[in-house]
Amino acid sequence: MLQVTSTSAAETALPLRFTWLSEVVAVFVKDWRCEFRTRYALNTLALFAFTTMVVVSISLGPIGIDRARGTKVLPVLLWVILLFSVAAGLPRAFVQEEESQTATALRLSATPSALFCGKLLYCLTLVGALELLVTPVFVTLMNLEVVSPALLAGTLAAGGYGLAVGSTLVAAIIAQARTKGTLFSVLAFPVLLPLLLLVVELTFNAVAGGGGGVALSQLLLYDASVTVAGLMLFPVVWNP
Amino acid sequence: MDLSGGNLGVVVVNLIIWTGIFLWLLRLSRRVREMEKES
Amino acid sequence: MKTISAWLLWLWVSLVIVGAFYYAPLAEGFQGGSSRILFFHVPMAWASFAGFIAAAVWSVRYLMTRDLRHDRSAYVAVQLGLVFGVLATITGAIWARIEWGAYWNWDPRQTSILISLLFYGAYLALRGAVEDPEKRARLSAAYAILGLVVTPFLYWIMPRLTFSLHPEPVVNAEGKPKMQSEILQVLMASGIGFTALFFWLHNLQTRIQALAERKSAAREQGYGS
Repeated sequence: MLQVTSTSAAETALPLRFTWLSEVVAVFVKDWRCEFRTRYALNTLALFAFTTMVVVSISLGPIGIDRARGTKVLPVLLWVILLFSVAAGLPRAFVQEEESQTATALRLSATPSALFCGKLLYCLTLVGALELLVTPVFVTLMNLEVVSPALLAGTLAAGGYGLAVGSTLVAAIIAQARTKGTLFSVLAFPVLLPLLLLVVELTFNAVAGGGGGVALSQLLLYDASVTVAGLMLFPVVWNP
Repeated sequence: MDLSGGNLGVVVVNLIIWTGIFLWLLRLSRRVREMEKES
Repeated sequence: MKTISAWLLWLWVSLVIVGAFYYAPLAEGFQGGSSRILFFHVPMAWASFAGFIAAAVWSVRYLMTRDLRHDRSAYVAVQLGLVFGVLATITGAIWARIEWGAYWNWDPRQTSILISLLFYGAYLALRGAVEDPEKRARLSAAYAILGLVVTPFLYWIMPRLTFSLHPEPVVNAEGKPKMQSEILQVLMASGIGFTALFFWLHNLQTRIQALAERKSAAREQGYGS
């Protein structure tokens, strides 16, 4: 006899063999599987990134920007490219669920925190792939000399994480609203602004020479704070 | 105390603007109270 | 707000206005009489931030109680925060023009308040995009709280990035001994006045909002009004 004694998704829907971690992995694998079918997000991200890079390098290259000004401007441009590519390709992670109405199934079967972490992992790998694609090309196209590659790598990692976690949460919020396209940018940019300020400063230091300093700890603290906020707010956003 | 003619004009204008805003808020407050009594 | 307390507020703010020009001396290092603007510009900025924080607090209360009145309070707090923020930005820009020659200087405080305005705008945009009241309340509450988590980083980061034109030792009223006591007194009094004004406006606007919602709900049900 089937007796449903509570409406908590975790208690009713899943037998004991599904651990939290396996849920996370399941969400992650599902998203990538869907992604490989259509390759929509990857294509969007890559196309957007490359188009922007071409525009930037054409504008700056032939005109010839001098070394000093270049090192000031190019870190900003790198992160603008990353930011806008993310805004173009990432919201789909949640919007698609709502549109294809698989969101309801997810609401019934997945633990919110596991869903959030699964989606976050998916977005992280997307951002990571984007960065791996963009950064070498960018550095080559712009003839950028990186004084401290380690700092650059660290900044990309921590900054990429920040981009992913903030975007995941905002994507979850706007997925349930109308006018999702522009709304994501409007909501995400104020949230991501402190992150951008920090990573631009750190990237500039990586290129021009100069340590991570206090900016790096601020960046890590930002990442931690938004992660905690995401873990606490996502169940609220997700469940009616 | 910094007494000067220029200041007097500015102060008077500010007081007039503030009193105007205040009276408008009072009227608004009264109307809201009336509408709440109706419904 | 009872009429007597309202008139007391009128008197209080009127005294602040008079005191700003006749009681408080001119602050050192400012062009002519322009330092007087700080008695209004600073409290407006305070009121704007108070609105931000109040919105987040009411958002938390909504999420805990699911009482839509808290959501309404948060919404109104953001509206007022935006209004005071815009006023603070404008008065700040006027002052900047007088003191430093340009309306906008990307001074950390100017930039921070601008970004706060972006947050308010984003919050209002989000509310406009969701129709269901409970969903709207839930989503905007989450965003308000997220905003509160993120904004302190802005204030933490920005001063390091650009040299601040903001007269830190004189304007900062947090017990810095450099400010003359009369200036501090008028500033505090103005702060109190603006805070009271904020709460009065908040009270009025939440009631107006409630009436409007009741009216549109009644209209939907087919009753004339």
